[in-house]
Amino acid sequence: MTVPGNEAELLTRVVSGDREAFDAVMRVHQDRVFSVCLRILGDRERALDATQDTFLTVFRKAGQFQGRSAVGTWIYRIAVNTCYDQLRRAQRRPSESLPDHVDLSDPSAEEAIESAAVRPEIELALAQLPPDFRNAVILSDLEGLPLPEIAEIIGVPIGTIKSRVFRGRRLLAKHLGNQNDQ
Amino acid sequence: MHEHPLDLIAALADGSLSDEAEARALIETCQECRDEHRAQTEVIGWLAAAPAAEMTDLEKASLHRDLWTELRNEPTRSPATPWWQRLSYVAAGLLVMVGLVGVLNNGMLGGGAESRATTTAAAQAFDEAPTEEVPFVAQGNDDLEAAPEMTTETTAAAEGAGEESLPVPFEELADEARANQADRVATQGTDGDTEECLARVGLDEHLVVDEVELDRTYLLVMPVDSEAEPIVTFVVMPECEIVYVG
Repeated sequence: MTVPGNEAELLTRVVSGDREAFDAVMRVHQDRVFSVCLRILGDRERALDATQDTFLTVFRKAGQFQGRSAVGTWIYRIAVNTCYDQLRRAQRRPSESLPDHVDLSDPSAEEAIESAAVRPEIELALAQLPPDFRNAVILSDLEGLPLPEIAEIIGVPIGTIKSRVFRGRRLLAKHLGNQNDQ
Repeated sequence: MHEHPLDLIAALADGSLSDEAEARALIETCQECRDEHRAQTEVIGWLAAAPAAEMTDLEKASLHRDLWTELRNEPTRSPATPWWQRLSYVAAGLLVMVGLVGVLNNGMLGGGAESRATTTAAAQAFDEAPTEEVPFVAQGNDDLEAAPEMTTETTAAAEGAGEESLPVPFEELADEARANQADRVATQGTDGDTEECLARVGLDEHLVVDEVELDRTYLLVMPVDSEAEPIVTFVVMPECEIVYVG
């Protein structure tokens, strides 16, 4: 995915309500926003909701973009914060159903899991990581974002991100190793 | 293991080191470092092999539809007043001041017809200065994004402005609906389609108080609590588009 050089200009047009400009920004970033949200939230429906909320925020706050980072970094930061908010809300509603990928009794879910190869065990292992570690690993090793950009997205120093990624991988290896042993 | 070796070994595993000599020397001499390197490399490989998470075309289409529905239904800022319009206010203000000075001079010093003419011109200029707030008249769903916030202040400020150019006497009908709302709210029901339409244009907390057949069919819709918020919204059917708020 390449970020067009005039993306900041597109965002300026979004401020004045230009629908085409907003659609263009969405086309570039919607897949990665969805992917990040799906990895963090672990549930497709919630990820779709979070993707929608992210772009609503992008539209409403386009005027606040100051060009200090790439437009994509700014948008992914909004996406990550939106997911955090969703997780916080979900924690306040403990009776809410679990994400579909752990419902192994559902034949259609099982089928979807089988077609997704190694994904279920990785997602299960990811789900066991502390949130800070998990999100750093998701952005780095699943989404392939460079560490300085992740630091900007999450809003912590790059050294902290490095440490979270490395330690997250170490825990993941431990979890995945345990799963394989069973 | 200390933080520094972990940093080095993990960076070696993900290929981000510019000089790998120190890290390679570490894994050659230290079993713990070798284990760490293997663990990090394995995890990177597993994650890299994970299938991409993508939205289906249907999900993308739904996302766009829902997003725009949401954005259409929210009030947006009024566009900024253009510079030439602001200039006309300033000019009108200056003329009024000059006129007032003229009147005062006339009163004190017995000025003549010339100063009276200035005052009249000033008053005329002020009258002709455009009114900033007008009621929202949409020309279709795309225009709804430019709708100003629906407030009674907006409506009050708009009275009499631009009414001649409207194809339908919206304001009269709105007044009538407001006057008769108590009777009509009780009798007018909403069928399933209408209810769905109102929800789509963000009027789900509203009731249809009247339906009029003019050049097209218009639903007159008011908030459930219309005493607190006596705003009448006109929805053209079957297109289900808001065309006037008054």
